[in-house]
Amino acid sequence: MPSQPSSTSLSWPEQSGDLPRDLPDRRALDRLLGEQFPEAGGSLSPLRGGRAAAETKLARLDPRRYTKSRNHLKGAVTGLSPYIRHGVLSLAEVRDAVFQRIRSRDEGIKLINELGWRDFWQRMWRDLGDGIHDSQEELKTGHDPASYARELPEDIRTGRTGLACMDEFQSKLTTHGWLHNHARMWMAAYVVHWRKVHWKAGADWFLEHLLDGDPSSNHLSWQWVASSFSHKPYFFNKGNLERFSDGQFCRSCSSSERCPFEGSYEQLENQLFANQGSIRDVPTRRSRNHQQRSGRQQSLKGSGQAAMARPKR
Amino acid sequence: MSFQRPVIWVHEEALGSSNPALLERPNSPALFVFDTRWIQEARISRKRLGFLYESALDLPITLRKGDVVKEVIAFAERHNADGILSSLPVDPRLERIAASIEEHCPLELLEPEPFVSMPRPPRLGRFSRYWREAEPVVWGGF
Repeated sequence: MPSQPSSTSLSWPEQSGDLPRDLPDRRALDRLLGEQFPEAGGSLSPLRGGRAAAETKLARLDPRRYTKSRNHLKGAVTGLSPYIRHGVLSLAEVRDAVFQRIRSRDEGIKLINELGWRDFWQRMWRDLGDGIHDSQEELKTGHDPASYARELPEDIRTGRTGLACMDEFQSKLTTHGWLHNHARMWMAAYVVHWRKVHWKAGADWFLEHLLDGDPSSNHLSWQWVASSFSHKPYFFNKGNLERFSDGQFCRSCSSSERCPFEGSYEQLENQLFANQGSIRDVPTRRSRNHQQRSGRQQSLKGSGQAAMARPKR
Repeated sequence: MSFQRPVIWVHEEALGSSNPALLERPNSPALFVFDTRWIQEARISRKRLGFLYESALDLPITLRKGDVVKEVIAFAERHNADGILSSLPVDPRLERIAASIEEHCPLELLEPEPFVSMPRPPRLGRFSRYWREAEPVVWGGF
């Protein structure tokens, strides 16, 4: 590694079994992790942990550009999620950094809103506990929940679907451990709706790799896509993917002549879902088999307002 | 805080300088444990472990791996501690670990600085419902 991991010295003696803190570089860290955790696959992400890396990203925070471009893969997203997830940066600290960079509320409203989502997921997790692993509502796809495969297909796991977009997302996920939110949604929709894989299989796979692997945000977002945490399934078409990815995948895609995402939303809805009528107008009913850990009854019924910021089609 | 000689348990949600336990007792011995059972069961990749390791190296903490409960208790004994301090976790897995630690040793969990403090808990279920209550409070700090 060009630069070495920083290491704060300790004021107490080391003992046998303590993991080393004096690593000369990232290659040494990679080797050490391979020795100590041989079951953990892959290698280090180019994205570094630690305060210095977090502060570098924080210094680049641009709430105005974020507002305009966040749904584009090349947009001015912050990349702060891994640092927030593990407490390297607190949400309050990022909130204050946004406030310092804006002159009016309009300039920061979208980014503050996204920080609000993070806080919301945490509160939901505190409320639902291990219930986030269960489907929160019935699916609105018209398909029997048992008809969804429980295992992630190997071609998706290994990035050999033949779809340039999905294979690139797999590559980014497994090498960097980070994906743009829009890419996460496209991939989740492909896995669940096009491949008929249960959301939990995809959600667990994401958590193996995402540096920001937050079970609450991840699992409930997958459920939002699947429609067990929203009033209709999320799906997309080729035009949407092309627009927000600047067409970077479709140009070189070997499957461009038989793209599964080609078509109008109406055509895809007919193709993907068994009962289209129900997709548009189904009252939400959440399962209540989770623990109420907070000791107070949270109202979990609702009309199923979108559970995450849905990028524009 | 009533402990005279505490040690600090740093977990995966609080690997930063705003960890309330580290702020409270910056000179106390502190520990982070790689939870080998979680790593195996959730098939956690080396990328994630590297991110945690690099973040932990920025803090004055001992790093170990294994059974978190056993390691934290052994660390407390190693330093002749009269209690353990940590930050309040959200993850139920960490809550269970905290509860198991507390069966063996006094444990105090400190609240991290909140994103938004509201006079009463907001209604959840839908983001829009929560945000209707939280947003004005958040922007009150602008």
